[in-house]
Amino acid sequence: MKRTLLAACAATLLLATSACGLGTESTGSQASVSRVPELKPDQKVSIVFESYNFGQAGAWTDTFNELIAAFEKEHPNISVTAQKPQGNSANPATDTISSLQSQLTAGSPPDVVQLGFSDLDFTVNQLKALPLDDLVGKDTVQANFDGEEYPYADSARTLGDWKGKTYGVPFVFSTPMLYYNKQLFTQAGLDPEHPPATWAEVRDAAKAIKDMTGKDGAYVDCLTKAAKDWCFQALVRSAGGRVISEDRSKLTFADPPSVEVVRTMQDMVRTGVMPNRTQMQAVESFARGDLGMILESSAIQGTFLKGAGDKWELGAAAMPSFEGRQAIPTNSGAALFVFSQDQAKQRAAWELIEFLTSERAYTTIATKIGYLPLRTGLVNDPDGLEKWADENPYLEPNLKQLEHLEPWVSMPGASYLQIRDGMMQAVENAVYQGANPADSLRSAQEEASALLPGGGK
Amino acid sequence: MTTDEVAGESSRGRRLGGHVVLGVLSLACVFPIYWLYATSLRAPQDVYSLSVLPWPLSTASYTEAFAKNDVLGMLFNTGVIAVLSALGQLLVALLAAYAFAAWRFPLQRLLYLMFVGTWLVPFQATMLPNYVLLSRLGLLETLAGVIIPTLCSALGVLLLREHLNGFPKELLDAARMDGRSSWSTLWTVVVPALRPALAALGILLAISAWNEYFWPAMVLQRSNAVVQLGLRSFMGTEGNDWGPLMATAGLACLPVFVLYLVLQRHIVNAFVRSGLK
Repeated sequence: MKRTLLAACAATLLLATSACGLGTESTGSQASVSRVPELKPDQKVSIVFESYNFGQAGAWTDTFNELIAAFEKEHPNISVTAQKPQGNSANPATDTISSLQSQLTAGSPPDVVQLGFSDLDFTVNQLKALPLDDLVGKDTVQANFDGEEYPYADSARTLGDWKGKTYGVPFVFSTPMLYYNKQLFTQAGLDPEHPPATWAEVRDAAKAIKDMTGKDGAYVDCLTKAAKDWCFQALVRSAGGRVISEDRSKLTFADPPSVEVVRTMQDMVRTGVMPNRTQMQAVESFARGDLGMILESSAIQGTFLKGAGDKWELGAAAMPSFEGRQAIPTNSGAALFVFSQDQAKQRAAWELIEFLTSERAYTTIATKIGYLPLRTGLVNDPDGLEKWADENPYLEPNLKQLEHLEPWVSMPGASYLQIRDGMMQAVENAVYQGANPADSLRSAQEEASALLPGGGK
Repeated sequence: MTTDEVAGESSRGRRLGGHVVLGVLSLACVFPIYWLYATSLRAPQDVYSLSVLPWPLSTASYTEAFAKNDVLGMLFNTGVIAVLSALGQLLVALLAAYAFAAWRFPLQRLLYLMFVGTWLVPFQATMLPNYVLLSRLGLLETLAGVIIPTLCSALGVLLLREHLNGFPKELLDAARMDGRSSWSTLWTVVVPALRPALAALGILLAISAWNEYFWPAMVLQRSNAVVQLGLRSFMGTEGNDWGPLMATAGLACLPVFVLYLVLQRHIVNAFVRSGLK
């Protein structure tokens, strides 16, 4: 009996595992990059555009479908298949890299892909996005940034650059903003027209709200692993530090400025003015009107406006600064990259990028989805976004911040996500679990340094 | 006070305690489902409200869900998958169980144990080979790709063979004497007698196919063809759209509820049988 059972198990296992070998295939080779000729008028090309926007129903999918239809009408020889990244995550934006990797492995990558700035190093050096400067010429790339009438904001146009070459055209982004509840400000005896401008003022205002209304004071959505590191980098830059050295050879997130940032935030939690919540709990609590202030991506503004309705009034201010220093916001968001292996497709991919970043496309995207137009001049154009900007009082502090915007720096090497997550875990442990900021950051930095290319030496 | 009275009181106390525990447990089970429907019926600006009663009631979330997604199409596709997958598994299980129970043949025990053995191999071990095979057959991104690999269920074979083992051999012999072929014996003698077991198993299989998330998510990587995947499209980088998300989730639960209400006795039977046998 035992032997029969053993034989049965072995046979089943054999059946179950025998097909596994089929899954391994070699990585596709990189196409050589040379200048691609213009398409002939009758040359038919079909390309694939992969963007996480197609994973979200409503304005996102509808607006992009509308833009693709308009593009195809203008370019009857190019047909575009729009798709969302493949994967099982609830949030399709987290599937972008793995989806692209598996398609590259299979040898048929999508032609135009929307990828986050946090993945820039990996996208350029490991996934081998094509340098647009080589593909269509630096002049053409720069001419696209200049636009017909409204150029890209200066701080935005180099966000997709790597070592002086443009690889990605920045497409959408948001900055960290201090959103606040005007009703709670009034109830706490604060002036809702003068929101806090420094972190010391945030702490005082949060304390007043907590004491006077019993509601929570302030939440900073930059201090957990789930929040990723984009606005933690902004806090560290605003305190005069960096998370990684400028030559990208050394991690510096355990240096005194970062420790100071973490200690300031930890104090807010300790004294009870910042609730110990997860990102989602805090966002929903603010939308419900139970939280005074939240430092959050301007992309979430729609959720707040929906929650506020006619029950409370939303206020927005620029990211607060540390006493005596200029606040330096960083951007979250994504750029468009080209991965086509065929020259005609590469050209068609560029045409699509030009169209999607045109004045016309930004006008559509801003009005229908609410994303910040990277061609900021559009908000003064009566035929463009002037009306939209007038109706959107939250836009001004956001646009103003762009003057001091610095890029969200991606971590280097193939283990860039582990480095980022290790750093943010240390921040979370200190701020919300009471670990010693200096020790926590130092040990995370030591561990993460070994993951740098070359072992951080 | 007599001993009888004391004993009576303590047993009554125990019964009361039992009811309290059961009541609390059932509340804990029902509350999330209540909250789901409550959230789906709140007005859009009240979605984040913590009040227990959703008031004023609003169907705006349902309207929004239908406007943004093809909810009916998704429910239909999920239904097709659940029904075809359950029927296919029933058929395969019935034929296999009939063979194992009605005949003696070489290596019977080994083959049966192999069926049981597949039950021990976790899904995670078979999903990649299945996926690669589907990819080569060109069945990725199709409903057929979701259904076909589920068609043979070890659970079904196991359960039906146990039932058939208890089936009187005399009836099979009598049918044979009547000159019936084994195929016609199956459909005219065995199946009618097995109807309760088949119904119970069918319901069980249909419900689990309806609720399945992971396998459809692997096969239908980019589409929202089934409702469990369609729910994802209300979640994203710019926050979750709780109203329509809960409305769609509420609609996804309804067919299972209805099935349960109509066939309550069979379903309880199904779970009891599968648990005990």
